[in-house]
Amino acid sequence: MQKLNRDISAGWRLFAYVFLIFFTLITLMPLLWMLYSSFKLQGEIMMYPLALPKEPTFKNYQDAWSIGHMGIAAINSILYTGIGTFFTVLFSLAAGFALTKFNYASAKWYYAAFTLGLLITVNSVIAPLFIMETRMGLYDTRIGVILPYIAFGLPMAVLLATSYIRGIPDSLIEAAVIDGASYIQIFLKVIIIVSTPVMATITVLTFLRNWNEFILVFILTSGEHMRSLPVSINAFAGRLNVNYGMQFAALVIGTIPMILFYIGAHNMVIKGFGEGALKE
Amino acid sequence: MIESKDKKLSFFILLLPALLIYLSIIIFPIGVSTLLSFTKWKNFALVGFIGVKNYISIFTDPEFLQALWHNIQIMLISILGQIPLGILLAYLLYRKLVRATRFFEMMIFLPITISAVVVALLWNRIFSPVGIFTIFMRMITDNPDYVVTIFESPQWAMIPILFVLLWMHTSLYMVMFLANMQRIPQSVIEAAKIDGASESAILTRIVIPALANVIFTSSIFAISGSLKSFDLVYAMTGGGPVNYTSVMSIYLYKHTFTYNNYGYGSAVSVIIVILSVGLITLSRSLYGRYQKKYE
Repeated sequence: MQKLNRDISAGWRLFAYVFLIFFTLITLMPLLWMLYSSFKLQGEIMMYPLALPKEPTFKNYQDAWSIGHMGIAAINSILYTGIGTFFTVLFSLAAGFALTKFNYASAKWYYAAFTLGLLITVNSVIAPLFIMETRMGLYDTRIGVILPYIAFGLPMAVLLATSYIRGIPDSLIEAAVIDGASYIQIFLKVIIIVSTPVMATITVLTFLRNWNEFILVFILTSGEHMRSLPVSINAFAGRLNVNYGMQFAALVIGTIPMILFYIGAHNMVIKGFGEGALKE
Repeated sequence: MIESKDKKLSFFILLLPALLIYLSIIIFPIGVSTLLSFTKWKNFALVGFIGVKNYISIFTDPEFLQALWHNIQIMLISILGQIPLGILLAYLLYRKLVRATRFFEMMIFLPITISAVVVALLWNRIFSPVGIFTIFMRMITDNPDYVVTIFESPQWAMIPILFVLLWMHTSLYMVMFLANMQRIPQSVIEAAKIDGASESAILTRIVIPALANVIFTSSIFAISGSLKSFDLVYAMTGGGPVNYTSVMSIYLYKHTFTYNNYGYGSAVSVIIVILSVGLITLSRSLYGRYQKKYE
């Protein structure tokens, strides 16, 4: 019995290696090809599509940066993602505290309303949102992009925050009330501090979502100066662009920040997605 | 909890920022969308109410039905492709059948950080005449003039998109399943091992049943995700050539922002929401029935 078992295990082990290595290669190869091709000029890409660059050049990057206005797009991406994520995290923690520790019967209705938001996609509201923003003068403004960023981050964030804050012992809050702290002080000095783990999860998930968001900026802005990286890349390096080298450079510029973020925080990213799924 | 006089006020101060933004940017527009869906627009102006005419036109438009069918294909590849592959990958890592599981997990999960637009354009290049895929196929088929023509085929144009979706999202399910597998008590698996259970028996008899709930949750995730796919398809093919790769959200986009028919576009978005809620309710009730049967 023991021997047979080990045999099966060896077969599985081989299968596991082949399968996982195959998946790793199919993930990595396109990305590596994109990276080294971005250092090749158009002629070299056409002649030797798979070869490593003979004389690596940064020309594609210079062109992408100046012709494609990637600099302003990068700044916009940082603004939209940073500000949007900050407020989603702050507001969802505050709402999570209000919905769990105040014991109001109405809390479950507010909670249900946020859950509903998980089913609603950007597509479903984009037309009325566009009309609203045009009428209110928010079209083609940064605030007009950031508000929807915050809103669409909220449903998932409120769910995660609520389920975490529910687990914080009431005694901690009662002690602070006896010490004379107001609820707002309790939120700022107790809840936020104790909620660091869930705050990290929400931040990572919201940050990634915002950074890669496309349709909001695509529809709600018109000028080059308002574009984020994905929209800028699509406009400049899209299907119709035939300068492959410049295109690759643009794609790398769009990818590198997130890959660096991932290398630095992969444990948190992987944990965040795992947890995000558990709570739904 | 101790009462204090500023309790009610604090409750609203804490709740209102989230609630107001959420209601005004998500819930209110859904209501507006529903109203708009009964209206007709011309030259950026509201012309009048036309009842359910928009809905009738949509459901009799072959272009819409084609787009809907493509969304169904995306749904099928998510449920029958991404989820099973995700379970298998997670299981191989969970059982530590290989060394360096952290390395594999980290590498396979990498695409999750990349924006769909970049993924779409990158794979366009891969399928282009100077792309890895084309060159690889030229070597296998020994035909130096091989080019990818599948995009032009009305029947098969969706295949590259479905493949790229598989490439992009499988690892998401892998991570979800792995996180949940790690909660299965180790002792259960050790006991099965001692009784002589094979790896495939452990996978099919212990791990998958223990994950039933998560498989259900991720199917819901897949259903709602597949109805909203826009970025990838838009950047990769724009729905074309003709409408060979159109999906509902591209159809919506075209009618709303190219033809400026906000009423018609809103009706499409209402249909998407109803489909999404309907399918999820349906799978919930099916799952409920399944649970009752086996408990």
